[in-house]
Amino acid sequence: MEEVITIRDLFHAYHAGRTEINALVDVTLDVKKGEIFGFLGPNGAGKTTTIKLMLGILSPQRGELSIFGDVPSRTATRKKIGYMPETADYYQYLTPRELLRIYGDIFGIAGKLLSKRIDDLFEMVGLSGDAGRLMKTFSKGMKQKVSFAQALVNDPDLLILDEPTGGLDPVARKNMREVIKTLRGKGKTIFFSSHELSEVELVSDRVAILDKGHVLASGELSGFLSRKGEKQTLENYFLQIIEEKK
Amino acid sequence: MRAVVAIVRGMVLELFRRKDFYVFLIFMLVLLGILSSQTFFHIEGISRYMRDFGYTLVMLFSFILAVTFTAKQVPSEIEARTIYPLLAKPISRFTFIFSKFFGGVAISVISFVLFFASFILFCLGEGQKLSPVLVAQSFFLGMLFFCMVCSMVVFFSVFMTMSANIAVSFLLYFYVINFSGPLRDAVISAKGFVAAMLGTFYYLLPHFDFFDMRIRITHAWDPLAGWVVAAITVYTAVYCLLLLYLAAMIFRRKKL
Repeated sequence: MEEVITIRDLFHAYHAGRTEINALVDVTLDVKKGEIFGFLGPNGAGKTTTIKLMLGILSPQRGELSIFGDVPSRTATRKKIGYMPETADYYQYLTPRELLRIYGDIFGIAGKLLSKRIDDLFEMVGLSGDAGRLMKTFSKGMKQKVSFAQALVNDPDLLILDEPTGGLDPVARKNMREVIKTLRGKGKTIFFSSHELSEVELVSDRVAILDKGHVLASGELSGFLSRKGEKQTLENYFLQIIEEKK
Repeated sequence: MRAVVAIVRGMVLELFRRKDFYVFLIFMLVLLGILSSQTFFHIEGISRYMRDFGYTLVMLFSFILAVTFTAKQVPSEIEARTIYPLLAKPISRFTFIFSKFFGGVAISVISFVLFFASFILFCLGEGQKLSPVLVAQSFFLGMLFFCMVCSMVVFFSVFMTMSANIAVSFLLYFYVINFSGPLRDAVISAKGFVAAMLGTFYYLLPHFDFFDMRIRITHAWDPLAGWVVAAITVYTAVYCLLLLYLAAMIFRRKKL
């Protein structure tokens, strides 16, 4: 199957004063077209750093990273990507409709097509009735829905979700899972970063577990859930592997 | 270009939805109204004071809006983390910086046009005679002034906090407007190393005084010669491009 994301021996470090903190150490990953890839790890594991590198917001200090066979910083590459950040306090004095119109314009999507897509997206995330309200009046969950909608405005081939379900109620989580599965059905690739293991377990095809910048395990989700012939939850597997590597 | 227009549109929408802009506009109209009531009583020379005070208000209020709105753009994008979904889209950091500059200019020019139009209407309403060329020049130089201000504020915003940016911008503005003349005299009279140091400092300063038409408006003097306006236009273009280029270079290396 065609590889959408290829990461080889990726290294990235931050400087905190004179101390160098290794955020990612020799990370190697492949994400294939049309799969939902769960990217797991505790807080501070390096998940968001990996995503920033995948978006071209940071540059790799060592190693290789390609998206659709190209460097992520190229405009042509980014046109195929949709990104939902973990948290973003979107412009308070704009409505979600105006926000999506601005983002759609950045992608160069034309007027009527953009209007139709925005309507469809708000319908899909359940915000149709609130699309004309200023975002300063929105709850955290509603902002997450806006964030999800904006990630889809360009009908991306690769959707990168960073902790997407935080702040969502159970109904909205279920809705988001269904949307993600529908997108996979359309051949889209979804990179799903989270520490909410139950969410990842419900949707992912393959997963990778990251801790302190190292990939501890990666592979088919089904393989993780039936380890040594016994069925277990992803949470159990995750806790075991984190403990083993300590 | 579409990306620049889209970001500018968002900034302008925000201007009209925030109360700050309307507070300044109403305050300006009230102050001009109070001034015009003084002329009603035919106090001698009051029309000159009205022009002086009115023009100062136009420039000051537009300057405050320009600085406060532009200064918060880059830091608030980072703080609110909206910079990430924005830069994940097909937009370069260079375009981002230029968009914030054009947004700042659009906001300043909109405020300036409304404030300046109110001021001119008040003057005309009082039967004061102003040379149309002088009014046009003041308006044009005002717009160039806001280009200078916005490029300076955007430049500061890539490495300063919002409050530091606002404080430095205000200090520079008041310093240049009030002390640029004495500094020029000092440069002329100094010699050797001191002259070189003072000269460098003098030429590096953003010369907001070039755009100040207050005295000419107040005393209804003749307009500036065409070549002076042309020279100021070139100066503004060079200064703005240089600051924006530096801002883009710094921002390109900034760890986000």
